[in-house]
Amino acid sequence: MKKFINNIKRYFKYAVYSARADLKAEVAGSYLNWLWWVLDPMFFMLIYIFIAGIVFKKTELYFPVFIFTGLTVWDYFNRNINASVKIVSANRPIVTKIYIPKYILILQKSFVTFFKMLISWGLVIILMILWKVPLTPYILYFFPILLVLYVITFGFSLILMHFGIFIEDLGNVITLVLKLVFYLSGIFYNVSTSLPEPFNKILLNLNPVAFLINAFRDVLLYGKAPSLLLLSGWFLVGIFSMMIGIHIIHKYENSYAKVI
Amino acid sequence: MKKDIAITVDNLHISYRGLKKFSIKRSLFKGKKSSVEVFEAVKGISFTIEKGKILGFIGKNGSGKSTTLRALAGIFSPDEGRIDLHGNSVSLLSIGVGFQPKLTGQENIYLAGMLLGFSEKQIREKEKEIIAFADIGDFIYKPVKTYSSGMYSKLAFAITAILETDIMLIDEVLSVGDAAFKEKSYNKMRELISDANRTVVIVSHSLSTIKELCDEVLWLHEGNIKKIGKPEEVIEEYEEYMAAKKG
Repeated sequence: MKKFINNIKRYFKYAVYSARADLKAEVAGSYLNWLWWVLDPMFFMLIYIFIAGIVFKKTELYFPVFIFTGLTVWDYFNRNINASVKIVSANRPIVTKIYIPKYILILQKSFVTFFKMLISWGLVIILMILWKVPLTPYILYFFPILLVLYVITFGFSLILMHFGIFIEDLGNVITLVLKLVFYLSGIFYNVSTSLPEPFNKILLNLNPVAFLINAFRDVLLYGKAPSLLLLSGWFLVGIFSMMIGIHIIHKYENSYAKVI
Repeated sequence: MKKDIAITVDNLHISYRGLKKFSIKRSLFKGKKSSVEVFEAVKGISFTIEKGKILGFIGKNGSGKSTTLRALAGIFSPDEGRIDLHGNSVSLLSIGVGFQPKLTGQENIYLAGMLLGFSEKQIREKEKEIIAFADIGDFIYKPVKTYSSGMYSKLAFAITAILETDIMLIDEVLSVGDAAFKEKSYNKMRELISDANRTVVIVSHSLSTIKELCDEVLWLHEGNIKKIGKPEEVIEEYEEYMAAKKG
C-alpha cells in the first residue's frame, strides 16, 4: 500500500499531463471534436426518449434529465471498464520500453473519462434548470456518490487489467457482460417501478451501476436520500477490489512486458 | 583504490515461461496452463560495471542482449539472481517512448520526459537544448504523426540524450537519422561518455562502434557470457567465431 501511494505521488503529474495530452489530441484534429463529447450523449438521450417514452410509453418525471443522469454514469463506467481490459497492450510502446507502475495507465485513463463525465454533468445541470427541477439539500449527497462511483470503477478496472493481459478474449466477454449490465442498470427505465417486486430489489442491491444511477437520481431529481448502508457497502467493495488489484499488479506487473 | 560500482548483476536468469496467453474459448478455465513452455533467454550471467565506464554487449540475434538491457532498465524483474543499480537513475535510450502522435514534438518532449521521471521544471530547463539538438526545424511544433521516421528517431534520441540519467542503456540506436545527424549523435555519445559520472551500456551489431566507444565488451552467446574483457581481444575472437560459422 505504501508503495502504491509513493508511486501515485511520483507519477501523478505524468498521469495528469498525459490525460490532458490525450484530451488535447482528441480535439487536435478539428476544433469541433469536443462538440462530440456533448453531442454523443445528447443523441443517445434522444434515442432513449424515443424508445422508452414514445414506443413503450413509459416516461418518468423530468424524463430527459432522468435519462441523461443514467447515461452520464453509464458512459463513465463503460469507458473505463472497456479500456482497462486492453490498456496494457494499448500502451505497448511505453510498457515495453520503460518501467511504469501499470495502474498509472488506469489512473490516466480515469482522468480522461472523468473529465468527459464532468462535461456530461454540466449538461445535466443545464437540463435540470430547463426542466425546473426543484433543488433540495440532498443534492450534497452527489459528491459522496460520485466518490463511490470512482472507487468502484477504479477497483474493477485494476482487476480486469490484470486478467486482460493473460486472457486473450476477455475483451469479448467483457463487451457481452457490459451489454447485459447496460440493460440491467435502468438507464432508460426506472428499476424500482418498472420491474416486479423481488427483481428490482435484487438488481438495485447487487448491481452497483443500477444502485449508483438510482442514487444519483434520488438526490438530484426526487429529493430523497440514498441508502447510506448500501452506499458505504459499495464504497468498501470498491476499496477492497482496489486493494486486491494493487496487490496482484505489484506481484505480476514485471511479467506483463513479456506477455504482450 | 576501489572504484565505485554502478551496476552489479549477479547470476541473472530471465526466462519467458508459460506466460503464453490463453483464451477462454480454447480452454474453459480448466486448471492451470498445462503445457509450460520455458524459454530461458538469459542463463545466469554475472558482471559488474564501474561508475563512468562504457560496456558494450555483442552477440548474435537472440543471445539475450536486449533482454538483459531491459532487465537493467527495470522492465522485467529477474527470475533468479539480482540486479543492483546502487541507487543510480537509469533510462533506456529507445525510439519514441510514449509519443502521442497527434501532439506536437514539443508537447511530446514533456510527455516522454515526465515518463522518464523528470519534473516539468527540469524539462523546461532542458527544452531548448533538446529542440536544438534534435534539429528538425519547425517540425517540432507540428504533430509527431507528420514526422518522417528519421525525424521521429532524432527527436527520441535528443530527449534521452539531453535528459541525462546516471546510467544510460542504448539499444541499437546509434544508426539513427541522416549522415549529419549520425555524426552528431555519435559525437554526443562520446561527450556523454566522457562524463566520468555516467555509466553506459550499449548493445550494437556495429563492431566498429563498440570498439571505438567501449571500455569493456561482453560477448553473450545463447544466454551465457562467452567472454568479457578488452574490446580488441573480445571483438577479434568474436569476428573469428562469426567467420568460422560462415565458412
